[in-house]
Amino acid sequence: MADALDPVIHAPARLRVVATLAALDAGDELSFPRLQKLLDMTAGNLSTHLRKLEDAGYVRVTKTHEGRTPATYLALTQHGRRAFEDYQQALTGLLRGAGS
Amino acid sequence: MTDHPDRPDDDAGLAAADSLRLIREQQDRARAALGPDGRALYGAWGVAWLAGYLVLWFSAQGREQPEAWAYWVFAGALAAAVVFTMVHTMSRTSGTRGVSARTGAMYGWAWMLGFLTFSAFLGGLARAGADGELMGLASNGGACLVVGLLYLGGAVAFDDRSLFVLGAWILLVAAAATLVGLPLTYLVMAFAGGGGFLVMALVEHLRIVRRRRRAGEGAGRG
Repeated sequence: MADALDPVIHAPARLRVVATLAALDAGDELSFPRLQKLLDMTAGNLSTHLRKLEDAGYVRVTKTHEGRTPATYLALTQHGRRAFEDYQQALTGLLRGAGS
Repeated sequence: MTDHPDRPDDDAGLAAADSLRLIREQQDRARAALGPDGRALYGAWGVAWLAGYLVLWFSAQGREQPEAWAYWVFAGALAAAVVFTMVHTMSRTSGTRGVSARTGAMYGWAWMLGFLTFSAFLGGLARAGADGELMGLASNGGACLVVGLLYLGGAVAFDDRSLFVLGAWILLVAAAATLVGLPLTYLVMAFAGGGGFLVMALVEHLRIVRRRRRAGEGAGRG
């Protein structure tokens, strides 16, 4: 279980992105500006990390329009949710290993 | 977590503890920011009921019915609580969409429809000649029935056990307040009803404090 940690999630910035999206109920999405505010990241920085997460199939990016304004919504995919659970389990395993 | 203290030389264990703490802090932050603050909502309704119903009760002393101005104060207190609830909930949940947003919107509409129907129901009673104590008891008891049942429904929709307890309590208060008759009805509503909301605000506050303390202990150990 305590094998190599998922490198896509393990970077602190992406870990915070994934942790935030995992706090949503399955079936819910969060807008880009709201996510950015919760993370205190610049838009460019957040976009870069989101692209990596999207490429890994962990995050679903939905581009839409609200009236005339373009809006972007983010959510974890099922795959991403599972990867985050595995990652947390791996951490807990490491912690146990360290304590024994 | 672990019963054993982390050994400072064990980098993997320390890093794991840091990452787990980062996850917990970020998720606590997200949940707090994206959901309504129960303390604020229950507190607002507790104050509105306590103040509004006390005004009705005082104004009904030595008369059969409260005076007209007292009804206006009461309505103003409830309207302020409605506006506060809507503004607070909408600002907290803005930028979210999906299942929870749809559930929340349907719940909001359920309140609207419930009270629209209830006002038509009262209009019908008035037209049929209901007035005085009968009208006072029917409007208060009926409104509380709507409120209590909607809280029970909300508890089911959001899987919220404390909301279920509150709904059951409001129904009990509605029954008791109607049985005692005017003007005592308003005193029961102020203290048992408004007090019920304030107790809920306190319970919610204690729950948050306990969760924070537990998170702090976890962080201290990491």
